Amino acid sequence: MPTHDDDHGHAMATAQDDSPPGYYEIMETAVRELLVERTLIGPGEIRRQIEVLDSRTPALGAKVVGRARVDPDFRKRLLANGRTACEEEFGISFYDDTELIVLENTEKVHNLIVCTLCSCYPRPVLGLPPDWYKAKAYRARAVKEPRAVLTEFGTIIPDDVEIRVSDSTAAVRFLVLPRRPEGTENFSEEQLASLVTRDAMIGVVPVQIPTRSLS
Amino acid sequence: MTRTEDLVKRLPNDIGGLEAERIQQTDHELEPWEKRCHALADVLDFHKIINTEEKRRGVESLGAEMVGKLTYYERWIVTFANILFQKAILTPDELAEKMEEVAARHSKSSTQ
Repeated sequence: MPTHDDDHGHAMATAQDDSPPGYYEIMETAVRELLVERTLIGPGEIRRQIEVLDSRTPALGAKVVGRARVDPDFRKRLLANGRTACEEEFGISFYDDTELIVLENTEKVHNLIVCTLCSCYPRPVLGLPPDWYKAKAYRARAVKEPRAVLTEFGTIIPDDVEIRVSDSTAAVRFLVLPRRPEGTENFSEEQLASLVTRDAMIGVVPVQIPTRSLS
Repeated sequence: MTRTEDLVKRLPNDIGGLEAERIQQTDHELEPWEKRCHALADVLDFHKIINTEEKRRGVESLGAEMVGKLTYYERWIVTFANILFQKAILTPDELAEKMEEVAARHSKSSTQ
């Protein structure tokens, strides 16, 4: 059995498809079936929630950012209350019942999000977090030495720009509204959205224009 | 560690600000059971059976050794089982029996 201490020990998943389930998978199946038998949860609920989880990807967050770039009124509402703005504008359901605070990067401030205690993340708009976000190194260091952390992602923030690190909780999640890159003045909302990556909305990289591929 | 007060001041999850290694930019596609486990967490939350903060505290109370050695979703499912026992929704015997049944189902299907 694997003895890894973080969450990147699953490289053999495809090779194990025909092998019997492991101890923890058996436990998952057993807990789920017991709860269904006692009608504490419905028989189709897990499958339906998996469909919801699969529908949430960083493309959704990117759409929100794209709209905020072209619609000043939406941007204002988004910054005032991220959750209601996303619900009203895009019909995004906040199935995990969390608040969303959108943090705008500016010339003077660069935002970074983390969850030092566990892995809280703006899942309704970004989907599930990457493993490194849940691992010890990022959680421990982001609040202590954010510039060094950013450098490991290839991001150099000038010394005169303040770095703000926001630590998520079970009830409050954050999303970074990254700066609009220069040279995108004539871009459409869709083009602007297509540039925005998951890592830019976590705050570890800026939004960049792929070199000369867009006309 | 000679300074036991560090153990008092920081629970296992409370690692913000500690020294740590370089960030390994790893990721993996969730295995089907891991995704089911995540969906189970959400459904347990919807039904107010186990909420996110209870889950987080439950993981913490697994203790440093289990937190260190189990993978992310392994910690979650063990935590759910523990909390369901504490709330007297399931008993350890019931879970053990069901796990045997699930395992037997798979060993039967693999010999056919």
